Amino acid sequence: MSTFHGLEMAKQALFTQQMGLYTTGHNISNVNTAGYSRQRVNFETLSPYPSASRNSPVMPGQIGQGVKAGTVQRIRDSFYDHQYRTQNSQTSYWQTRTDALGRMEGLMNEADGTDGFNKTLMDFFKSLEGLSTNPENIGARQAAIQQGVTVAGTFNHTANSLENVRKDLQTQIGKNDGTTGKLGDANSLLRQINALNKQIGEVEPHGYLPNDLYDQRDRLIDELSSIVKINVDYVSSGDSSLKIADGIAVIKLADEKGKDTGITLLEAEDRKLSDSELGQFKVEFADDSKQNAVSKINFVKQGTEKDIGITNIEGSLKGLVEAYGYLDGDDVLGDIPSTIAKLDKLAENFAKAFNKIHGSGIGFDGITTGLDFFTSGKDNTNGKITAGNMTVNKELRDHPEKLAVSTDKTAGNGDNAKALAGIIKKSLTGADVDSNEPPFGEGVSVLGYFQQIISKMAVDTQEARSNVANYGVLQQQIQNDRLSVSAVSLDEEMTNLLKFQHAYNASARSLTAMDELLDKIINSMGLVGR
Amino acid sequence: MRITQGMMSNNMLTNLTKSYASLNKYMDQLNTGKKINKPSDDPFVAIKSLDYRSQLAQVEQYKSNASEVHLWMDNSDEALNSATSALQRLQDLARLAANDTNSESERKNIAEEAKQIRDDLISVANMKVNDRYIFNGTDTKNPLVETNTDVNGELTIEINENQKPVNINISENIELQANVDGGKVFGGKFFENINKLVNALEDDDQAVISESIDTIQENVDAVINERASLGARMNRLDLVENRLSNQENSAKNIMSKNENVDIEVAITNLLTQETMHRAALSAGARIMQPTLVDFLR
Repeated sequence: MSTFHGLEMAKQALFTQQMGLYTTGHNISNVNTAGYSRQRVNFETLSPYPSASRNSPVMPGQIGQGVKAGTVQRIRDSFYDHQYRTQNSQTSYWQTRTDALGRMEGLMNEADGTDGFNKTLMDFFKSLEGLSTNPENIGARQAAIQQGVTVAGTFNHTANSLENVRKDLQTQIGKNDGTTGKLGDANSLLRQINALNKQIGEVEPHGYLPNDLYDQRDRLIDELSSIVKINVDYVSSGDSSLKIADGIAVIKLADEKGKDTGITLLEAEDRKLSDSELGQFKVEFADDSKQNAVSKINFVKQGTEKDIGITNIEGSLKGLVEAYGYLDGDDVLGDIPSTIAKLDKLAENFAKAFNKIHGSGIGFDGITTGLDFFTSGKDNTNGKITAGNMTVNKELRDHPEKLAVSTDKTAGNGDNAKALAGIIKKSLTGADVDSNEPPFGEGVSVLGYFQQIISKMAVDTQEARSNVANYGVLQQQIQNDRLSVSAVSLDEEMTNLLKFQHAYNASARSLTAMDELLDKIINSMGLVGR
Repeated sequence: MRITQGMMSNNMLTNLTKSYASLNKYMDQLNTGKKINKPSDDPFVAIKSLDYRSQLAQVEQYKSNASEVHLWMDNSDEALNSATSALQRLQDLARLAANDTNSESERKNIAEEAKQIRDDLISVANMKVNDRYIFNGTDTKNPLVETNTDVNGELTIEINENQKPVNINISENIELQANVDGGKVFGGKFFENINKLVNALEDDDQAVISESIDTIQENVDAVINERASLGARMNRLDLVENRLSNQENSAKNIMSKNENVDIEVAITNLLTQETMHRAALSAGARIMQPTLVDFLR
């Protein structure tokens, strides 16, 4: 046994406890760092002396040689990461949809009753009924026409504002080339994760655990999971890497049920590629006739395009696309486009039925028949009336006496005004709009159809809101589970600090004891008889 | 479960945010007086309130229509009333003139008064309300009676009768005729009968004068008949107006019940929430501060 065995052992202990102290310090320093997982030094006993070998000295037993720091490991449970990411995709999806639906609801807020469609339509009804009792009065005609202008204006304003919201959403989705918006974010995250994969791949084979790089990578993967649902696998970075090393992250696109879609966003081998060679999300928009809806979102890698299937995925990207509108065959689906389509249908059929009655009536001058009340914006002829272009015939705005209030040539006849007012309240039949079937379904009036639109929007928004709340609670819970494992507890670190400090002090004391022993041997022995 | 400071502050923040959201909701309710501020707060209430609003607007409009009908009817009634008095005065004059004690010149004087009454009846038949002739059906821009005086000073009276009723909606699918058919009153032999009397007075023809007491009675009967039917319609209008008022009241009540917030409930909720919020804040403040650091030397 070596004379200096004890010295060596105490020195190792001092170093090791010091490492513990430093790691504790690191933890305390990063208590508020996002995504940081607490780290732990795995202490190991040094191999005992003597080792079993042919030349080993004969001793009563093996004696311990002290402590060494094995690895520095982060404390994290990848099972919670998986759960968190799944939940994150769902929460982000509902959050994004809620935002879009909320904006739509803000534009079509009928709850306070001071303005909105219901109010303007009823005001129009009142002005027409009022006109029917006073058909001789030019002022009453003017008022009714003005209310008609307000109705058309409300349609225009709502449709245009909804289109503006869609433009915002389009910006949020991103440009075709995938450099901006959510797609840009996703592509940038893939590049950053790849860069970290690369660094990790260089460190791990040396037997190290790049804990802080792992944390950064996990945080980026969390972010990516909010945009699209993903599955993450890990492959070893090399034979010489530690067993407990995380390895290289392989990211696969998952469908809404969490199954692989067969599209791999990031492969292990991608770390040898440059940023520009990596796969990227790109989007294709349809043309004007299809309301510029999203026709496809592709994942493009080295020239090969794969359609990711808009309805298959999950996450905020899907939320945006669903609110903005996407192509399903030839149909444009989505929250805002379908609302616009319904408003268009309402505007078109209301105008048709209204024009039909108006055209059959007679104006104040006793001759005017066949004039349309509502026309389609710029060209007053034949254009299909939509919510966006609906306007009141300029002829009538300039000549209110041409408003067809009567059914005969007498001035006091307001029967046609009554019939016009009736259009707003009555259930429209096919005959009202020259079609085979009722425009809004059996027994539904203009007001009734509008209420259906509001009701659908309100129910969707409510569902989205409550889903955000519910999934939010779940996510919070999973986040807590995750934090429970990984987060730094200051009390715990303080306790560890004391533990390591005491161990350090004790090791120093044992060093002093060794020093005294050696002092005795060197300076006090061999003096017999002196 | 291992709990860390970070988790506690996260949870506290989340709970505080929720608490603020509730506070905000109750504040909104109290500020606006409404249970809901956007349709998604409660789609069912929102849609019902749209329905009630349009019902209310409709009832309001029908009430305004009904008062328009009132205007027509009251004026027509007034006019027919004065027509009756005028006709009765004519009968009185006829009776007076038929008396043998009157001389020819006195009858001429009576004829002058009868002419004035005839002119008055013409103006009643051509009565205008709000710039509308009320006795000429829907042809409200043209008078019922047109008079012409020829070169000899002879008066001819023409009736341009329009029989179309002026119907006004006073409830959903309920129309009421607002006007009196002037033709039935002032048409036919109405002015012929009067002219006969006037001419007889001028010609001093006692026999015809006596006869015309009866013929003018036909005129009186025609007026009274129309007034009776007008009266019946006025009664109906009153009934409908009552019903509209009731409908308006109940629509307002049910609308208020549907969407207005119960102030007591909202304030109590707000106070409860406020107490909870304070408790959460003070508990948070206590828990957040101490760590082991505070107790180590």
